[in-house]
Amino acid sequence: MRQIQPLVDTKVLRPAESALALQLVTEMELLRLKAIARLHARGLPPDVGWDDLLQEALTRVLVGSRLQPEGVPTVVFLAGIIRSLRSEHWRRAASRSRRQTLRIDQANETVPHEVELRDPAPTPERSLSARQELAEIRKLFALDIVALQIIGGLADDLSPEQIRSAHGISRTDYDSARKRMRRTLLREGLTCERK
Amino acid sequence: MRTKVKTTAPASPEARFMRVLQALEQELLDASDEEIIAAATDLGMNPQMKGSALFAGLKYPARLQLSDFFELGMAARLEAEQTSIVVPDRATPKLTK
Repeated sequence: MRQIQPLVDTKVLRPAESALALQLVTEMELLRLKAIARLHARGLPPDVGWDDLLQEALTRVLVGSRLQPEGVPTVVFLAGIIRSLRSEHWRRAASRSRRQTLRIDQANETVPHEVELRDPAPTPERSLSARQELAEIRKLFALDIVALQIIGGLADDLSPEQIRSAHGISRTDYDSARKRMRRTLLREGLTCERK
Repeated sequence: MRTKVKTTAPASPEARFMRVLQALEQELLDASDEEIIAAATDLGMNPQMKGSALFAGLKYPARLQLSDFFELGMAARLEAEQTSIVVPDRATPKLTK
């Protein structure tokens, strides 16, 4: 019997492939976004991978649920979506934990008619995770004193000038440290090793 | 005149981490294509090469599965086809009360 060829190709394109085909991003931009997504996936539960963040961000742009404002470069726009996906994840996790607490309270009938409004401040779990992740980032630059001073200053919300004057770093040394930091971050972001 | 010292409450670990994360994100956004190629070369990878491992998780899955190497879907379909052509054995009479 003659085989009829299927009309539709069964290969499923990944959002990154579609974005490349549509020339929304270049291969280099994809690699830059990979490093950014890996950075933002730090501290997220293991079931949420960097690739989930990136492919989801690309999907939102492809399906039009996020519209790129005029004048904003695509990579910057996508990095913003990745950042908001991360925040969205934490918001969902917090509301899930609040719902669970409420359910436990209702089951115990400790507060049958009252709903406790909780402070939106970070939970102890989130604070601990943030502290651990910051320590992990410091570890990446463990042998680079200037890079560690820069990270400390950034965490304290200091401007580059303030960091330089606080630690007596020359502009050249500051710029070379930033270059080294970029190289380390890119290596961390592009590696094939699973973190 | 005395210098005024502005005292603020210490920022939460989350806020400190987010500031660092955002600053490092900016560093990556500022990275040039040459810097990306240099970092890839450090890792022994070449972005120009077809099927480069650099694109794992982008063009192909980061977590490889058996189905990426074998056509498991095809095997399942063949198995289904085989079972569908089995003719029920009508020779054996049904037991009735």
